[in-house]
Amino acid sequence: MSNVWSNLGDWITERTPGMLPMYRKHMTEYYAPKNFNLWYYFGSLALLVLVAQIITGIFLTMNYNPSAAGAFDSVQYIMRDVEWGWLIRYMHSTGASLFFIVVFLHMFRGIIYGSFKRPRELVWLLGMLIFLVLMAEAFMGYVLPWGNMSFWGAKVIISLFGTIPVIGTHLVEWIMGDFLPGDATLNRFFALHVVALPIVLLLLVVLHIAALHEVGSNNPDGVDVKHGVKGNRWSPLAPADGIPFHPYYTVKDLVGVGFLLLIAAFIIFFAPTLGGWFLEPDNSIAANNLVTPAQIKPVWYFSPFYAIVRMVPSFMDTAVWGVIAMFGSIFVLFAMPWLDRSPVKSIRYRGRGYKIALTVFVIAFLGLCAVGTDTTAEVIPAWFGDVDVTFWENLFGRLMTLLYFGFFVFLWAYTYFGWETTKPVPDRVTTHD
Amino acid sequence: MADEVVDHGRRRFLTVTTAAVGGIGVVAAAVPFVESWQPSARARAAGAPVTQSLKKIEPGQQLIVAWRSLPIFIVNRTPQQLATLPKLNPRLVDPNSDVGQQPAYAKNETRSIKPQWLVMIGICTHLGCVPDYKGKIEPEPFDPNWQGGFYCPCHHSHYDIAGRVYKNMPAPKNMEIPAYHFIDDTTVQIGVDPKGAA
Amino acid sequence: MTKRQGLLRYFVLAALMCALGFASMAQAAEEGGFPSAGTNLRDQASLQRGARLFFNYCVGCHSLKYMRYSRIGEDLGLTEAEVMTNLNFTGAKYGEPVVSAMPADLAVTWFGKDPPDLSLEVEAKGADWVNAYLNSFYLDPSVPLGWNNTVLPNAAMPFPLWELQGMQRAVMAPGKDGQPGTVEKLELAQPGKLTPAQFQQATRDLTNFLEYASEPAALQRHRYGVWVLLFLAAFTLLAYALKREYWKDVHEA
Repeated sequence: MSNVWSNLGDWITERTPGMLPMYRKHMTEYYAPKNFNLWYYFGSLALLVLVAQIITGIFLTMNYNPSAAGAFDSVQYIMRDVEWGWLIRYMHSTGASLFFIVVFLHMFRGIIYGSFKRPRELVWLLGMLIFLVLMAEAFMGYVLPWGNMSFWGAKVIISLFGTIPVIGTHLVEWIMGDFLPGDATLNRFFALHVVALPIVLLLLVVLHIAALHEVGSNNPDGVDVKHGVKGNRWSPLAPADGIPFHPYYTVKDLVGVGFLLLIAAFIIFFAPTLGGWFLEPDNSIAANNLVTPAQIKPVWYFSPFYAIVRMVPSFMDTAVWGVIAMFGSIFVLFAMPWLDRSPVKSIRYRGRGYKIALTVFVIAFLGLCAVGTDTTAEVIPAWFGDVDVTFWENLFGRLMTLLYFGFFVFLWAYTYFGWETTKPVPDRVTTHD
Repeated sequence: MADEVVDHGRRRFLTVTTAAVGGIGVVAAAVPFVESWQPSARARAAGAPVTQSLKKIEPGQQLIVAWRSLPIFIVNRTPQQLATLPKLNPRLVDPNSDVGQQPAYAKNETRSIKPQWLVMIGICTHLGCVPDYKGKIEPEPFDPNWQGGFYCPCHHSHYDIAGRVYKNMPAPKNMEIPAYHFIDDTTVQIGVDPKGAA
Repeated sequence: MTKRQGLLRYFVLAALMCALGFASMAQAAEEGGFPSAGTNLRDQASLQRGARLFFNYCVGCHSLKYMRYSRIGEDLGLTEAEVMTNLNFTGAKYGEPVVSAMPADLAVTWFGKDPPDLSLEVEAKGADWVNAYLNSFYLDPSVPLGWNNTVLPNAAMPFPLWELQGMQRAVMAPGKDGQPGTVEKLELAQPGKLTPAQFQQATRDLTNFLEYASEPAALQRHRYGVWVLLFLAAFTLLAYALKREYWKDVHEA
């Protein structure tokens, strides 16, 4: 039996000489630092969720009807008439939210351990592009069920482009292909969501991983493993603190996969709407261009960015500033490698000012989340009674917006002018499991 | 060195077990996706047996009803039409209905449960067109000696009044008879065999 | 930093995330502040009673256009004959969806609007809302249909279950500064066929049925979910054992 397999392997290797070296380069002879911790699960988990979204998405397209008249009905058709359709749809809807949870944590890992710093700037830039495309992908997917939140979400988000001076109105009509979101909008979003953007995503993911494997993985100590001491039990030329990705990190990631699937399965089978956070009640009402839902709020993963739009007041007769600020809040992340000039990568060896600023940044992000999901609008009257909710919400939201952007300004000044007192970075990685 | 302390048996056992359990998981996860291709509840509801009253079909007339999106021809055949059947045998491909294009209970001279009533899937066995009903026994442009039957407009296949195909036609087989039975003398249900018939 | 401290931090992090999650879910659950409807999809008898109420009192105007009679039969443990004689009064086929016999234009003339389809009512509004709504009708001569509702003021529906509950009357609290008064509470002015406790059970059954109709797959979800979680837990444990085994190399190296 084993003979058959090795013969088959030889047969293939003879005909594709590049395959085995490529497998070795990226798996058995890719030496990753041995001190990866919990934060390092999220990269492979993001890949898993991407694959799951593509498979479930393909099966959803088999019964989905991308027309204003038929989309909503076809979702209920999937939920009720198609065998196991409910499971496939819940996998997809839950996967969308889990994708963002995993990706946010993955990005945060990059920030705390300085994974965007030289020589990994390109890895970071490609990752940010993935995030940007993912947001577009998620938004268009959110529109497809054509519930009332889908419809009004599409209208509001597309209207953001209408704030651009001069071309705004025409741009909005061009995006919708109509004067309101309708058949044309739904059809083009469907095409982009199921064909165009997934292809772009896959390409970017391949480039992201290829760029990473060229320079090697960072680690929680921020130690340059690749150019440090050589020689480990697998190869005298390999980094002393590196271990082969396969089998050590493949089996480790398998544990992470198990945990993620447990969480996903719990949500899919026992709380698919997650109390309105993953699937909103107002979206089980069909799209209606005459009735606005009681609250138009974005699904949670867009909420911090959308909150910024709401918090920036319009002036000089235009609302474009909020939109600029929103896109700015995402694009500023692209500049991380050049804003953060600290010689030290990992938070473990960085100055106290950095740690405080990062904590404030996390609070600002969660605070904007709360504003964007209208949690503050509920909590303020509940906690403080009869107060001017709008006033306090705006005050809070604007403070959080300032702190969000303030983090980047502080980070640049703090590291550019050399105010940071860093701790010495060890030569070798420290702890590992 | 360190290799010596590795318990290879345990390692192999865990690898094989995890792979096997993971494999079972993948197969189990694939089941819903495979089964989602089964006819949906809507398709099954649309494919449910169709009940049709025969009261309003005049002698010599044809009614077309839909069953599973298929056109079902129901013809109230006159004695004159039925009389043509034995005469046509030499001109037909399969006069005795030996090819399995009908349930056993319709494998007879009239290809029906009751001679008067023809119940048939009106789809030409050539390339799937719906043949026209040409019930009258009179000369037709395509056959001066026409004995009544069905004429396919696509590629000109000729069928007799029992849906049997003529020789030297594009269509190879007689038209198909669906499962059906009579609920009472004037009501037919398509999609269900008569009680006791397989 | 020792390994133990590192682990501790993860536990704190995980605990925080769980707490946040539950807090937000509890927040969502309390939204609206209606008393719990106390529905239970596993109570098949309750679902059957709810279905009977729906088909006796609601289907005259409201459809369940995404729900097939056959599916109701399968899920509620009823035979085709039982469904066709006890629930289906429109002559629809067994496999067809539940569509009200009322013509839409007639409904608009009578009630001013087309009665909404109720297939997704509970998913959109929540079971607690629906249950509270059904218990909150009162006589109000100031509105055209004579019935008003405290949960949905100026509802376009006259109370269809009045013969069961009887008629409620509003006790008004005086309004401030010449404003119209607000409803303080409802009291039973004239009893119906059912006692208040029986009526509460009836609306709970009806809400339960509508909750089922909102998402019939919920029955399957609960059935398979436990087994999937158990399987995944076993797989995760196995994967952890495998990881421990392989990582012995790393500890020695």
